[in-house]
Amino acid sequence: MKRTLTSVLVASAMLTLAAAPAMAVTDKEIEMDAKTPGDVLSWGIGTQGQRYSPLAKVNTSTIKDLVPVWSFSFGGEKMRGQESQPVIYKGKMFVTGSYSRLFALDAKTGKKLWQYEHRLPDGIMPCCDVVNRGAALYGNLVIFATLDAQLVALDQDSGKVVWKEKIDEYSAGYSASAAPIIAKGMLLTGVSGGEFGVLGRVEARDPMTGKLIWVRPTVEGHMGTKNGQDNGITGTTNATWPGDMWKSGGAATWLGGSYDPETGLAYFGTGNPAPWNSHTRPGDNLYSCSTVAIDVTTGKIVWHFQGTPHDGWDYDGVNEFVTYKTKDGKHLGGKADRNGFFYVLDAKTGKFQRGFPFVKKITWATGLDSNGRPIYDPANRPGDPAKSADGKKGTSVFAVPSFLGGKNQMPMAYSQDTGLFYVPANEWGMDIHNEPTTYKKGAAYLGAGFTIKTIDDSYIGALRAIDPATGKIVWEIKNNAPLWGGVLATKGNLVFWGTPEGFLKAADAKTGKEVWSFQTGTGIVAPPVTWEQDGEQYIGVASGWGGAVPLWGGDVAKKVSFMNQGGSMWVFKLHKSK
Amino acid sequence: MAFIRTILVIFSTFAFYCTPALAAVGDDPLGSPMWTELRDRYLGNNAKVVFDSRVKVTGPKVAEDSMNVPVGIRIEGLDDIKRVLVIADLNPIIKVLEFSPRGATPALHFRMKLQQGSPVRALVQTGDGLWHAGGIWIDASGGGCTAPSVGRSAPDWTSTLGQVQAKVWETPQQSRVKLNIMHPMDTGLAPGIPAFYIERLSLQDETGREWMLLETFEPVSENPVFSFDFPGRTPPGLRLVGRDSGGNRIDAKVGQEVAQ
Repeated sequence: MKRTLTSVLVASAMLTLAAAPAMAVTDKEIEMDAKTPGDVLSWGIGTQGQRYSPLAKVNTSTIKDLVPVWSFSFGGEKMRGQESQPVIYKGKMFVTGSYSRLFALDAKTGKKLWQYEHRLPDGIMPCCDVVNRGAALYGNLVIFATLDAQLVALDQDSGKVVWKEKIDEYSAGYSASAAPIIAKGMLLTGVSGGEFGVLGRVEARDPMTGKLIWVRPTVEGHMGTKNGQDNGITGTTNATWPGDMWKSGGAATWLGGSYDPETGLAYFGTGNPAPWNSHTRPGDNLYSCSTVAIDVTTGKIVWHFQGTPHDGWDYDGVNEFVTYKTKDGKHLGGKADRNGFFYVLDAKTGKFQRGFPFVKKITWATGLDSNGRPIYDPANRPGDPAKSADGKKGTSVFAVPSFLGGKNQMPMAYSQDTGLFYVPANEWGMDIHNEPTTYKKGAAYLGAGFTIKTIDDSYIGALRAIDPATGKIVWEIKNNAPLWGGVLATKGNLVFWGTPEGFLKAADAKTGKEVWSFQTGTGIVAPPVTWEQDGEQYIGVASGWGGAVPLWGGDVAKKVSFMNQGGSMWVFKLHKSK
Repeated sequence: MAFIRTILVIFSTFAFYCTPALAAVGDDPLGSPMWTELRDRYLGNNAKVVFDSRVKVTGPKVAEDSMNVPVGIRIEGLDDIKRVLVIADLNPIIKVLEFSPRGATPALHFRMKLQQGSPVRALVQTGDGLWHAGGIWIDASGGGCTAPSVGRSAPDWTSTLGQVQAKVWETPQQSRVKLNIMHPMDTGLAPGIPAFYIERLSLQDETGREWMLLETFEPVSENPVFSFDFPGRTPPGLRLVGRDSGGNRIDAKVGQEVAQ
């Protein structure tokens, strides 16, 4: 007699030791997160994702006294890319580590309170290192996604697992690394696995129990559900996909999303259509390489904007859509797309306002038309392998940006003071060619070969201050290695960002003058945060070299191969003489 | 008779008047150096404890396999049993399991890991608050808790995780259910392997009534085997319901097969 175990919710009543929750993060607190510097409740420091803090005690004149307070090692042998943004509530910091680990720390002292190590099967298939980007807080729970495509909710105080839900089968190529977000009392998550032909989707759950509320697939033709009932097909079947190709169409929502309470819309970026070989799927391939705006109440797509229709270069459109208000009251959103263009859209309607390159060189398109649609350069799309002599390899082209993108997973920041976006950008290209491929469950579904190349020996990365109103690059700070960490902007006229060379840096937000740096001992590929506790402003960042660059970097290796791995959390504050 | 019956009632204040070592030797029939400390830790400072031969613990004199030491607990002639704690004094993780027979016979057979020779005790609390202690020494060559599980190295452990095999022996007078649950039960003490173990198991009948509640910890053996006894036939529609430390759920029908 055998029964297979499934991972499902466990009612909190079953926990014999469940004490009355001393902490309880509310919807209201999450909506106000960006304005309340005593905590950091969401990925993005507020679900809008601006990564802007009103704290100003650390500013351009005081920053010379910014010194480390504590450092905490994630330990073990699992020193891989640390891309996590910590969340902080009532003096407790929750930070995730590589290999689906979660640490609860005293935010002031760095003392470990508990740690959870998710039991991972050997067969997980993360494409781009064993990273995790952070946790969500709700009620007395801290919730994060794991590399075997599960969601785990733990008690903030005890570290005990309260519920666990499976998103999908890891053996079919699914994984999950993005930080969940909370919107209107729901837990919103995406999926990873675009290289395996998974079905991209956004899911909403009850954060206290893990119970599924709605599912919205991000590939046309697939049925959405709400409360277990059909909730309408995404798009129109076969409108932009030929034959059955949409069934394994990718469009993975692997970087999660943002949410603006004012519009009631959740904005999720979607990845590449599968396979990479675009000749197998003529059409725009909706809703791949797009931002989809989903009404969180209905679970339906309200609008979408596709940066790279009929993608042939792996220009995932997963990049975060950050909403903001202009001085004249317009409610807009900005997105620095992997394809090298920065888009400004209306937050409510998705209407294209303007678009412009935020990298110096783009070859796959010659520009954007009045609707923001790219004007392709057909010479720079990899050739159809079916038209080659032996049918096995299409013409190779050199395309810029590389598939690692003008910007990748590292989130930008928006300063409410300067009105500028601070974008961690990279300048690089790739040789890419297409090959025939067919879908097989759980196997890589690419149909492409590639090598990333540098295009300027002096630098790849550049932190750029970009005016969304004009498209002007106001200032930039170049970096030898590709930038892979996110950015934080503060009222102290500062922007903070980390480099693979291991430095956490700060610059004057207006002038771009570098004013501070600290060597953390290993590369930084995570976004910094700031919060206030007992009257002092703290800055924190996870440090630990890894991510997609060392795995896929090709010729970039010469700029990064000397870097050492690590895994730790660093926290700083202003030095005070006693 | 293995123990001298009902030696002493120990109050917490008593411990202040004599050294722990002396108290251990004097009070504990097993002569364990850990006893007074463990008594205070697991039963509370004011717990009243008697060593009671009605609490019977059986096991090998020497553990042949430190990873799978068979242990039996049987309580005879004690009424109103609230809970039964099983501890191994000298194990790196001391608490093995805890159970409450809620209609099932107050008995349990299982397999556990022993890191070294140790007392293995059952501590039984009755409705009057009194604790009744029984136990034995089991010698072991060591290493049971710090070795990696076999399941850890099996690449397909997720496909069998939580599977339950059950066998029932039944007569009108008494019945036994023997269960085997697939689980690595990693202790967290082997380098690089986090703790991962079944936390809770419950035997429930078709109405949801609970007949036996079991909380388990890291020292329970990999792919645990448990035997539960019932007075009379097994309750109708018996199920095993539980979960592990990672939130994986166990749910299996166990009471259908009838043998003999």
